[in-house]
Amino acid sequence: MTYTIFKSINVLNPATNFNEKSNVVIRNNKIISISKKFNSETITGNNPITIYDCKGLTMSPGLMDMRVNIGKTENLEITQKIALKNGITSIVILPNQTPKLNNPSIIDHIHRQSENIILPRVNAYGAATKDDAGLEMSELGLMSEMGAVGFTNGNKSIRNSLVMRRLMSYSKMINRPIIQHAEDEDLSGISQASTTSIRGEMNEGEISTRLGLIGIPSCAEVIIVERDIRLAELTGVHYHVAHVSTREAINVIRRAKKKGIRITCDTAPPYFLLNENALLNYDTSFKISPPLRTEDDRIAVIEGIQDGTIDVIASDHRARSKDTKIQPFSAASIGAAGIETLFLLTLELVHKRLIDLKKAISLISFNPSKVLKIKEPTLEQNEDATFIIFDDSVNNTINQKDLMFSPTPFDGRNVKGKILATFIQGNASHVDPILKQRLLNEF
Amino acid sequence: MNKIFKNKDDKISSPVNLLSSHLLAIEGMQKSEIESLLDRANYFANLDRHSDTKKLSGYVVLNVFFENSTRTRVSFELAARRLGAEVINISLINSSIKKGESLLDTASTLNAMRPDLLIVRHPHSGAPRLFADYLNCSIINAGDGRHEHPTQALLDALTIQRRIGHLEGLKISICGDIANSRVARSNIHLLNIMGAEVRCVAPSTLMPLNLEKLGVKCFNDMREGVKDADVVMLLRLQNERMSGTENPSEREYFKFFGLDEAKLSLASSNAVIMHPGPMNRGVEIASALADDTNRSLIKTQVEMGVAVRMSIIEALIHTKTNDLKEQK
Repeated sequence: MTYTIFKSINVLNPATNFNEKSNVVIRNNKIISISKKFNSETITGNNPITIYDCKGLTMSPGLMDMRVNIGKTENLEITQKIALKNGITSIVILPNQTPKLNNPSIIDHIHRQSENIILPRVNAYGAATKDDAGLEMSELGLMSEMGAVGFTNGNKSIRNSLVMRRLMSYSKMINRPIIQHAEDEDLSGISQASTTSIRGEMNEGEISTRLGLIGIPSCAEVIIVERDIRLAELTGVHYHVAHVSTREAINVIRRAKKKGIRITCDTAPPYFLLNENALLNYDTSFKISPPLRTEDDRIAVIEGIQDGTIDVIASDHRARSKDTKIQPFSAASIGAAGIETLFLLTLELVHKRLIDLKKAISLISFNPSKVLKIKEPTLEQNEDATFIIFDDSVNNTINQKDLMFSPTPFDGRNVKGKILATFIQGNASHVDPILKQRLLNEF
Repeated sequence: MNKIFKNKDDKISSPVNLLSSHLLAIEGMQKSEIESLLDRANYFANLDRHSDTKKLSGYVVLNVFFENSTRTRVSFELAARRLGAEVINISLINSSIKKGESLLDTASTLNAMRPDLLIVRHPHSGAPRLFADYLNCSIINAGDGRHEHPTQALLDALTIQRRIGHLEGLKISICGDIANSRVARSNIHLLNIMGAEVRCVAPSTLMPLNLEKLGVKCFNDMREGVKDADVVMLLRLQNERMSGTENPSEREYFKFFGLDEAKLSLASSNAVIMHPGPMNRGVEIASALADDTNRSLIKTQVEMGVAVRMSIIEALIHTKTNDLKEQK
């Protein structure tokens, strides 16, 4: 038996609303005590003990990133390892990778591939439709049995209303959510019918007019959200809107929630920290989908986070090679990396006094697990020792050159906070040298 | 004709110094830079073309066109040759792009041959800026997507200045496919900087959102838009950049947005007509008006293009050379 003791650490558990300075003792893979006073009776026998002085540090449940794209050039294990260093102990991957996650055996394969206990857990969404055209329903039930946590077409909108109705109705039956990338593809000029010369590239408005880029009107988002809410009402499904970016869509979701419709949504850091002005130099690291919107939309996203309309912050990680980004804006790939900055950028909301730390952690741990009904260990006695330790006030800078994935839209940004350790089932999967310096004793 | 230009002869007889070693856009340029370029271009326009100085002999200019063009390419080529520079024309519409080479690789290959100036036309907005960010030679934007076409705006300004004498205070109506037009954007910025009153006339489907924030008045009714105008500037319908739902038909377009005698009669009695070409007769403009040399400046625009481009090529090479001297 091995013991690890974390002395005087601020324990933050959004699931139970617990937030107190405590001493935490773990034995092997379990938490055996969280108490104000250190209770030496918990330690029995002549076993190795590791003690960390954790004054000023915080312990919280491991983070969960419910929106991760695994691109062609990435491999799942590397993504897991990088996630780990950034406090993420659970990721959910989107189905639009190659091959597509559109059948039960691939879902099963993903789970088997990622079984390594010391790495973050991997869950997957199943592709809602078998085909890119979005017309044929996938085997939702079989994929669900293999552990698919929800259904979505990832970065493509489920476009056909009848198909959406059927998907919702079927998903309701098997008790899984439908996750939608809400964008009217005809309106935004990205439907298959549109030629490359009229493909939507950024938010439509003054900036797109100045730059001569094709605009995607912000109503392209709310139009789909409104339609889907009607269908969610009709079918009773749990409907989840991914990466909301506009005031209008947030308003509509807020109203639907009040009405009692089963709807949740997430957003990503670019949508509450940046606006379309970032594009003025045609910087392709800001070319993401949905596009960066106006300052008013950005404020609306923050308000949505504050009042609980927005349930989750996800990284919307979609790493892209430099080659596909050093291109004219129109030809550049869509997407930006995010898994390495999710924690730091969410914390920015705390440092700007927009939300408190407990809420911030909740948005990236407890809330996504609740939305997707994925049971994750919580910081309680006799639970699995899966948690993170971080310093929320140390100065830090996001530098592309220090990151594994590119591009980050936040290169050079000064932030505060640092993940110091990630424990998965008692394994010190990641321990930063700074925490090692706080080691008091080791027998 | 020269008296209308403010600067003294000694000033126009030397190359212009610019703030940047590239010409990527009119937006962000200083009024004094534009004035100097126009003065110098006017000097070139008046110069007997057999007495050109050939001062740029030994310099190499690459004309790199990723999009079809005849008039702009020839105009740049003539301008560079009249200054004595070597010109190499490269059409990349069908070559390395199809072989899968990235744009930047193509550009840096060309750059490695050490040209002094790269003149770039590209179907994507912002592409010349990408070249400027990664290559170390001067870049002239010869038209990028729907973004800007700065030399066109300068030659339009020179044409107006030579005919009317000034730009400040003029009412200028830019009519047609504003949404897809780089010419419109460059002209809006330039004419605003020079103190003209700029109006844009377009069907609502071809009027970009929030255009008024660029400092123009927007009209869907051409009769209102050209009222009392001193200059009516027409734009080509860029069908290659449309999806087919912008415009019901050419004859309907001509009825409401084509320039005919009736609409022109609402403009100022001395109003002049301009068009960057190539024009669609009977769509954007009644054929007879296009050929009316008293009112149409369309051919003068083409002529001024060479002079303006001489002034810019010279200025950029001059600016770059000065920068290099300073660095030493």
